[in-house]
Amino acid sequence: MNQTKLLRTYSMGIALVLIWLFFTVATDNFLSARNLSILSIEMAVTATLALGMLLVLLPGQIDLSVGSGVGLIGGIAAVLIFNHHWNAFAAMGAGLAVALVIWGLMGTLIIQYRVPAFIITLGGLLVFKGLFWKVIDSETVPVVAGAGDNALSLLTTHYLTPAQGFLLLAVIAFFVIRASVRQRSQRAKYGFELESSSTAILKIFVALQALLLIILVMNQFRGIPLSVVVLGIVAFSVYIITMHTRFGRYLYAVGGNKEAAILSGVPVKKVIIGAYVMLGGIVALTGFMQTAYSGASTTTIGNLMELDAIAACVIGGTSLAGGRGNVLGVLIGALIMATLLNGMTLMAVAPETKFIARGTVLALAVWLDVYLSQKAD
Amino acid sequence: MKQKVLQVSALTKRFPGVLALDDVSFDLEEGEVHALCGENGAGKSTLIKCLSGVWPVDTYEGDIWVNTRRAQFKHIKDAESAGIGVIYQELALVREMTVAENVYLGNEPTNRLGKIDWPKVYADTQSLLEKYNLDLDPTSLVADLGIGQQQLVEIVKALLKNTSILLLDEPTAALTESEVDILLDIIRDLKNNGVTCVYISHKLDEVMQIADRVTVFRDGASIATSHIGNIAKAEIIRQMVGRNIDELFPRRSSSPAKPLLSVTNLTVFDPLENNNCLEGISFTIKAGEVLGFGGLMGAGRTELVMHLFGAFGNRVSGEVICSGKSMHNSAPIDAINAGMMLVSEDRKRYGLVLEKDIGFNQSLASLARFSQHGLLDHHAETLANKKLFKSLRIKAPNVESIVGGLSGGNQQKVVLAKALMTQPSLVFLDEPTRGIDVGAKLEVYELINQLTEQGKAVILVSSEMPELLGMSDRIIVLSDGKIGGEFVSAQATQEQLLQAAMSHG
Ligand SMILES: Nc1ncnc2c1ncn2[C@@H]1O[C@H](COP(=O)(O)OP(=O)(O)OP(=O)(O)O)[C@@H](O)[C@H]1O
Ligand SMILES: [Mg+2]
Repeated sequence: MNQTKLLRTYSMGIALVLIWLFFTVATDNFLSARNLSILSIEMAVTATLALGMLLVLLPGQIDLSVGSGVGLIGGIAAVLIFNHHWNAFAAMGAGLAVALVIWGLMGTLIIQYRVPAFIITLGGLLVFKGLFWKVIDSETVPVVAGAGDNALSLLTTHYLTPAQGFLLLAVIAFFVIRASVRQRSQRAKYGFELESSSTAILKIFVALQALLLIILVMNQFRGIPLSVVVLGIVAFSVYIITMHTRFGRYLYAVGGNKEAAILSGVPVKKVIIGAYVMLGGIVALTGFMQTAYSGASTTTIGNLMELDAIAACVIGGTSLAGGRGNVLGVLIGALIMATLLNGMTLMAVAPETKFIARGTVLALAVWLDVYLSQKAD
Repeated sequence: MKQKVLQVSALTKRFPGVLALDDVSFDLEEGEVHALCGENGAGKSTLIKCLSGVWPVDTYEGDIWVNTRRAQFKHIKDAESAGIGVIYQELALVREMTVAENVYLGNEPTNRLGKIDWPKVYADTQSLLEKYNLDLDPTSLVADLGIGQQQLVEIVKALLKNTSILLLDEPTAALTESEVDILLDIIRDLKNNGVTCVYISHKLDEVMQIADRVTVFRDGASIATSHIGNIAKAEIIRQMVGRNIDELFPRRSSSPAKPLLSVTNLTVFDPLENNNCLEGISFTIKAGEVLGFGGLMGAGRTELVMHLFGAFGNRVSGEVICSGKSMHNSAPIDAINAGMMLVSEDRKRYGLVLEKDIGFNQSLASLARFSQHGLLDHHAETLANKKLFKSLRIKAPNVESIVGGLSGGNQQKVVLAKALMTQPSLVFLDEPTRGIDVGAKLEVYELINQLTEQGKAVILVSSEMPELLGMSDRIIVLSDGKIGGEFVSAQATQEQLLQAAMSHG
């Protein structure tokens, strides 16, 4: 029984390894530095959006409009830059502001006026798509006016130098070790279960080795992509928000039992609107990254991204009913989704087959999780 | 010697870190009512779950024999086909369906094309109801029935499946006294029809009334089985807790000081029922006082405390002043900030996040206290959690145990801990001892004493009159949303309270 539990905890990690093995064997260059660099950028975009989705799934809500939102906000920034010659920072600021307002409004409609999130955001999906096409006039709008780069285009084209990469690793290592030592001493003090210090050291060691490996591989191509650093910052922030703030606790409480949360004095409305506003910010960020990755805003940007985001969350163990889910799971889920797409592209799989494969993997993953959790009880 | 319809030998069931059943042996004689008593977490519900196939055969050690055949239940269905039916404390009915639809849910008789034979469903339900003298209409919606009547529907549903052994796990925890009487009558009827019953209850008076034999559990082990004629209530209690208990209601009154909460002429509209559920309510409660609220089910007691806490109804008129502040249009968070806290009667629905751990639940209403610069101070939070966990003597491996896995009484203690952690000056306790054992009840009473000695006030809503009389300083009886009478506990009797409860309506 304990083995089943272990298997369940690591099932998606194992699935990820298997998928990677498969593509390594099935393609020539899946593990090439160049492809892994591309994969990391693609994953960064998917994972960033999925982390935002996590924030609304935890309190038991959902958002189907994020894909259209990604297109719209990216489109607004591109139009401001290309057609109106705005500074890229200002354009992104404007896009961000629009996103925050829109998502704040949707959150308000959902919790204040009690229209189900599914409906509001389904409406949003259509409305934002229409607005998006109007904004870019259904044409292709480049993200840079003229030649050269700007802050927006650099999001997916800038790379850290090797030295910067190693410095980053050193900083991360320092903080991870310090946090772990602190946490262990606290748990020991309260008499909680402690894993043996050798396992703990081994875990940190393996994690840092993995990080080092990633940096070494990335440095073989162009260095750590800026978008991966962006993802790192988003993931760290969402981790802190969910695990170390009152707001995060409330997200889980509202998703676990809304009525009990209300009677415990949890400001449920503020929490839900807050979650949507944060998601809005992340949608904007993803919009900039995805548009930059394509080099221009076109009508297909953001297509079906909401489903990738939800799939990543669910594969990562997030419950659609709310109350369950965490950052690490979502990252693994996003990596699985991104890997599938990347690997199948390398194999030159037809688009129709890609859809079928991704859908099947999603269903299989959730079935496996349910199956293992039933066996574990 | 009567025939044994069920025998359990050397049953042992473990959960991670908990030995829930420890080498339990136990048997049932045909047609008897066999009561199980024991403190919270003693293992009563776990035994029921083993007998009913909730825990499959390979998850415990030991043997279960039904009518001399070795039972190896893998699913609930297996137990059902062996004639074992269960009534759980939590009702499992579909509120939007009729009585008959619920009774036949999952067992609908169909013709060859799969069309449900509705006339048969209703006719058979009717005859089943008549057989057991149940006063229910097969066509009424379950949502329109009281809790007691819903309980009856559950029983009929269980009987439909040719049940010869009926396991009842705290069936009366949510019932009023008159509903309890009806239920006990039904159990007697069942007995006459040859059904054998296992009856779990923390209310020993009921046990003494209905049971033929009683088995006491302590810490997972069956301590003793006795014929009810050969054992006194005090002895059962002694077996349960392992020591003598002198006083069941140890109220130490403290001298009430300044008024904490005053309510004048309060009328509250219930938007769901579309009527006024409370009318012209006025009272004051002073610091250091326990004010009891009595009345029948539906008299408006829960509505009153929920409204005062900002969680129910629209105020039509009246004024509520708490510690000098007028409370209007408040939400629970305002009430908590004003020093009030509510322990709801329905802990699963309003009290707990079941899938989270004890610590998460205990500190949920007090997180503001543990936040610094927007970040949670896990250190201080855990300290506070552990302190309450210890002082309330919650039975679980540690504060990281999931609340859903705790026994009913320990879940109740977690809800109480959450309330205490907000350091309230006025606590609403709505049926605080529902489903908890004698020892834990005493601890709750002790807690009430401590609160009032610290100059805090308690509003105690209870359907158990001895508790109301024993633990309150004053009692207000509600009757159909109005005040039916006000008493000083020391001078009141159960008859007076009952009369007041029926004075309106
Ligand atoms: N699913 C579970 N997972 C882990 N522990 C459990 C689970 N179910 C019960 N336990 C533990 O087993 C013990 C016995 O619990 P059980 O529910 O049988 O007690 P009980 O006698 O019915 O108590 P109560 O009177 O409070 O209902 C308790 O310590 C409880 O915490
Ligand atoms: Mg129980």
